[in-house]
Amino acid sequence: MIRLLLAIVLGAAVPPVPAAELLDFSADETRRILRHGPWPPPWSPDPSNRVSGKPAAIELGERLFFETRLSHDGSISCATCHVPERAWQDGRATSAGREPVDRNTPSVLNVRLQRWFGWSGASDNLWAQSIRPLLDAREMDASAARIARLLRADRDLRAGYARAFGAPPGADDEAILVDAAKALAAFQETLVTGRTPFDDFRDALARDDRTAAARYPLAAQRGLRTFVGKGNCSVCHFGPSFTNGEFADIGIPFFIARGKVDPGRHAGIEQLKQSRFNLLGRYNDDAARRTATGTRHIVVQHRNFGEFKVPSLRNAARTAPYMHNGRLATLRDVVKHYSEIDLDRLHADGERILRPLNLNERETNDLLAFLESLTEAGTDPGTTSGAKRP
Amino acid sequence: MKPALALGAAAGAAAHACEPELRGSDLTRVESARYVLAYRSAPARIAVGEHFALELAVCGKDGAPAPESLQVDAHMPAHRHGMNYAPVVRRTAANRWRAAGLLLHMPGRWELRFDVRAGGAADRLTRNYDLD
Repeated sequence: MIRLLLAIVLGAAVPPVPAAELLDFSADETRRILRHGPWPPPWSPDPSNRVSGKPAAIELGERLFFETRLSHDGSISCATCHVPERAWQDGRATSAGREPVDRNTPSVLNVRLQRWFGWSGASDNLWAQSIRPLLDAREMDASAARIARLLRADRDLRAGYARAFGAPPGADDEAILVDAAKALAAFQETLVTGRTPFDDFRDALARDDRTAAARYPLAAQRGLRTFVGKGNCSVCHFGPSFTNGEFADIGIPFFIARGKVDPGRHAGIEQLKQSRFNLLGRYNDDAARRTATGTRHIVVQHRNFGEFKVPSLRNAARTAPYMHNGRLATLRDVVKHYSEIDLDRLHADGERILRPLNLNERETNDLLAFLESLTEAGTDPGTTSGAKRP
Repeated sequence: MKPALALGAAAGAAAHACEPELRGSDLTRVESARYVLAYRSAPARIAVGEHFALELAVCGKDGAPAPESLQVDAHMPAHRHGMNYAPVVRRTAANRWRAAGLLLHMPGRWELRFDVRAGGAADRLTRNYDLD
C-alpha cells in the first residue's frame, strides 16, 4: 500500500516517461533486418596464412604494426595512417604517407571479414594487402631487403619471428617480407568491433522479445526501416558487416587531378591478376587454394571503371570523412549524397540500383540515428575503438 | 512469320519430353521447346556473396539435336547487371556439366541463364531465382 501511495505521489511529481515503442515491422522487414546479424561472427583462421590466429604471430604482428623502422626513412609505421585512437584510420580525406596518396585510409577494424582488400580490391588476402603500403613509394617505401635485414638484425624481432614461424628468418628476403605481412595480418584479424545498440535490437527481434526491442530509439527504428526499405541501402550494405564485399559506382567523381583519373575496380582487378602475392601464387599456405575461387573467376568488365568497394557501415560514425577519396566530410553529407544523387554521374551502361531518395529532414535525421546506432557501445567516439586487442 | 512457324514446330515437339540424367529430390527443372535441363547447387543453399557451383544435366526432346555445349550465367534484370565473376563450365559426362565460380552478390531476383548449343543454334533456358 505504501509502495502504491509512493508511486502515485511520485507519478504526480515527475512527468511520465514516454513508453518505449516498437514499430510494427512487417515479416519482410524483420527478415531483412535479421540478415544484419548475429554479431560478432564466429572466428575462423585464414587458410592462406599458416600463422593466422597464432598468439606468437599476433604478438609479432602488433609489434610490426607500430614499428617505424619498416619504412624507408624510419619515420612512419602502419599505425601512422591506421591510428587506433581514430578507429584505425586517420581522419584525413586522403592518406599521407611519405607523400600524399589519392585515396582515403580505410579502417582496419573487421578487416578479416573482407573478400577483397583496398578500395579497388587489388588484393585477395590480408597479408598481400599488408605488403602493398610497405612497398608503395608514396607510403612506407620499404623493400623486401630492408624488412628482411631488420627482422634478422633486431634481437627482439628475430626472436619474435622464430616464435611465430618456428625458425629464425632465413636467406630469402621476399619470403621474410611475406611472413612479416602474415604476422601483420594475424594481428589485424584480431581487430573486431564490439556489439552495438543495433545488434541488441536485432537479437531482440530474433527472439521476439518486444520489450527489449522497444529500447532501441524510435528514430533509429524509423531510419532502419528506410535502410531496408525505401532506401534499398541493404542491397549493397548487406549482412552482418553491412557490406556485400563487392564494388559499386555511386557517382563520386574519380578525377584525381587534371587529366588523371582513379579507375577503381577496373585497375584493381588487373593489379590482382598480376600480383605474385595473390591466392593463386606460391605464397598461399593452403595447397588446396580453398579461398582462391574469386581470384580464379573474377573478370574485368567495362562497368568496373570508377567502381569502388562498398564499405562496411559498422562504426561508420567514427570513420569520417567518407568515400574512396574522402570527398564527403560527414555522415549527413553521405545521406544527402544519396538523397540527391545525380544519376548523370553514373555509368550509362552501369547498374540501375540508385535513384534520388528525396529524404525530408526527419527522414534524414532518422537514417543518421540508425547509422549512429551501428557504433560499438562502451567507448567514446574518437578515442579507443573497443577492438579486441591481443 | 518464320518465328511463328518455328514456335509451332517446337510446340509440337514439346509434347515429347525427356529426362535429364540427374537424380535426386533437390533438383530444379527448366524446359525450353527443345531441351530439358535439371540442376542442383553446391552448397544446396545459395547465399548472397558466397561462391557456389551447379551440377547440370540436359537432354533433347524428340527431334532436338544432342546438346553440344552449355553456358551458364546470371543477371539481375531489375538492376541491369550480371555477376562479377565468370563461371567455368566443364563437361563431366555425356549431357552433364558442372559450372563453378558463380557468386550472386546481392539479394533480390536473379535470372539464371542456360544457353544450350547444338546443331549451330542456341536455346536459352531461364529460371528466376529469388535470393534472400
